[in-house]
Amino acid sequence: MTIGIPQALIYWKRPYFWETFFEDLSFKILLSPETNKEIIEMGVKVSDPETCFAEKVFFGHLLWLDQKCDYIFVPRLKTNKEKLEYCPKFFALPDLAKILVKTSILTETFDERKEKFEKTLRKLGKKLNKAPKAVEEAVKAAFLKEEEFKEKEKEDFLKEMKTEGRKIVLVSHPYNLYDEYVNLGLRDKLRKLGVQPIFLEEVPLQTQNSKFENQDLKYPRFHWEFGKEWMEKISAILNYEITGAIEVSSFQCGCDAVLKEFVEKRFKENKIPFLYLLIDEQSGEAGIQTRLEAFIDTIQ
Amino acid sequence: MDTIHQSSKPIITFARWGNYTIAFKTLFEQLGVEIIPPEQTNPTTIAEGVKVSPEMYCFPLKVTLGNVIPSLRKGANTVFMVQNIGGSCRQRYYGAVQEKVLKEAGHDINFLDFRATPKDIFSTIKKISGASTWQIIKAARFFFKKLRLIEKIEKMVQFYRPREIEKGTTDRILTEGLFEIEKSDNEKDFSRVKKEILKRFSEIKIAKNRRLPKVALIGEIYTVCDSTINFDMESKLGKEGIEVHREMDITYHLKKLLFPWKDWIIQKKINPYLRSTVGGHGRDAIYETLNYVKKDFDGIIHLLPFGCMPEVTVRPILQKIHQEKGIPFLSLSLDEQVAEAGINTRLEAFVDVVRNYHQSKNH
Repeated sequence: MTIGIPQALIYWKRPYFWETFFEDLSFKILLSPETNKEIIEMGVKVSDPETCFAEKVFFGHLLWLDQKCDYIFVPRLKTNKEKLEYCPKFFALPDLAKILVKTSILTETFDERKEKFEKTLRKLGKKLNKAPKAVEEAVKAAFLKEEEFKEKEKEDFLKEMKTEGRKIVLVSHPYNLYDEYVNLGLRDKLRKLGVQPIFLEEVPLQTQNSKFENQDLKYPRFHWEFGKEWMEKISAILNYEITGAIEVSSFQCGCDAVLKEFVEKRFKENKIPFLYLLIDEQSGEAGIQTRLEAFIDTIQ
Repeated sequence: MDTIHQSSKPIITFARWGNYTIAFKTLFEQLGVEIIPPEQTNPTTIAEGVKVSPEMYCFPLKVTLGNVIPSLRKGANTVFMVQNIGGSCRQRYYGAVQEKVLKEAGHDINFLDFRATPKDIFSTIKKISGASTWQIIKAARFFFKKLRLIEKIEKMVQFYRPREIEKGTTDRILTEGLFEIEKSDNEKDFSRVKKEILKRFSEIKIAKNRRLPKVALIGEIYTVCDSTINFDMESKLGKEGIEVHREMDITYHLKKLLFPWKDWIIQKKINPYLRSTVGGHGRDAIYETLNYVKKDFDGIIHLLPFGCMPEVTVRPILQKIHQEKGIPFLSLSLDEQVAEAGINTRLEAFVDVVRNYHQSKNH
């Protein structure tokens, strides 16, 4: 049996985790390809025009998988380990996916306010008729793979920070940062301009499982997991020497409208130049290139 | 800077919300708090709000800011904002963001940002007014009396408007009625005011026994309830001879806050379409649509601020229901760039569809 996984949006919240999990349970995995023009066009065509660009890309991946596999896996991510919520648009993904594709949707609700992540995974395994023991092994393997990936990220980060030259922090959601097509190859473009891009996602946090810094917060206590994560990681990166910051938003991302206010403030307070880039299905390479060049020029 | 305000007397202003603003004004007045009511929404206030707001934020944030800024100029120094009306949606951060942008725009203000729970509301009111518990209870009682009457006459207007013989009578009586309600500052005298307003409504001459097409307004609570934002949608439809219904109002929202099982019932009903909350009143829109289909309505208008996260998320589902059941459906996203002429054109076309649908059903 083949399980399709759209390589977009929620995939990037836990890259490598899901395919390892299912592969370990001896399923065949069909991962949708890296985002390309065709996928975006398909997605844009079927999505609500006012939904965010990232979701449109996701629907494109979903349509690519349609009728190529037995199931498409679309988890309903609601809250994480710290009981903080994911983007509310994730809540309805399986339901919206059902409207769009003919292939059955495999889903499970991950809400750690109600039950532990591992327990939900066991439920998912049971749904697929797998023995609890096998599921447990698969969970372990998936976590291990994820840990490996995080370690590598941390190493990369430390290596990047040691390099000479100016460093630019890229602030965005993982699905905008890791998807090179969606962000129009931002990382390469910056490197060609002679600066070292640093993904906010890769910044390690000193204390795992940290509570909100208790002092007088300059930003609201976000109920979004990424809101808290971003602000904490920005605090962490401010300890290093960085030359500039770029925030990348998908067009019509509602959460970013809130976060941008506080992200921008945080960098500006620390006298770090800040650039805000919006990406959507109409962003052209040339436009982004011009803005990046201008930005790099100003921080000379 | 904050210390200056703590010693000086707070002069409060607050977000405007359709006709219900009247009731909120009374609440503060009865508590003996000095207020400067928010300015009526108009293109100037909207433009002013848009100027200071984050560009990507949703429309109601910009509108309510625009209402508050003129009051700040007139001398108000404290802004009252409720958070968390929408659960998972952006409304939660209205207070935080509005406070930030107002201060950055040079307004030296106190910001009272509180959660929409009875306990939090009570303690905030107590802190700001210094009123006794009894006084607060009395003020709240008067507030609810006014609120209920406003909601009641809004519903009556929906019935009378398409049926009135002399055009414009209902709207006139509504305006007069709202004025009377606003003027009344004595709870004892209020029952007389109420009786008088209801009497005036009952005297409207109407065309009897007419079966009119029925259209429901669903969607985001602020845009659905505030006629200054939705280009007086109810009145426009009423004048076309259409009976308008809407379930969203403050009482509906408060009931859901107090009785959480209402949400469970809604979830159970919409399970085939959506198995989770999506924040705001996203689930309610689906529930209401299904309900109106069952009640044999002739059309549904879905109103939302442009890019509203919950409503945009459920819109494909609403469209699916529309395709399955055939009920005419129109979704209108509102923001500062929408022009009334465009809305009118779309509405006219939709009214034709509704009339045809109504006729085809009854033949």
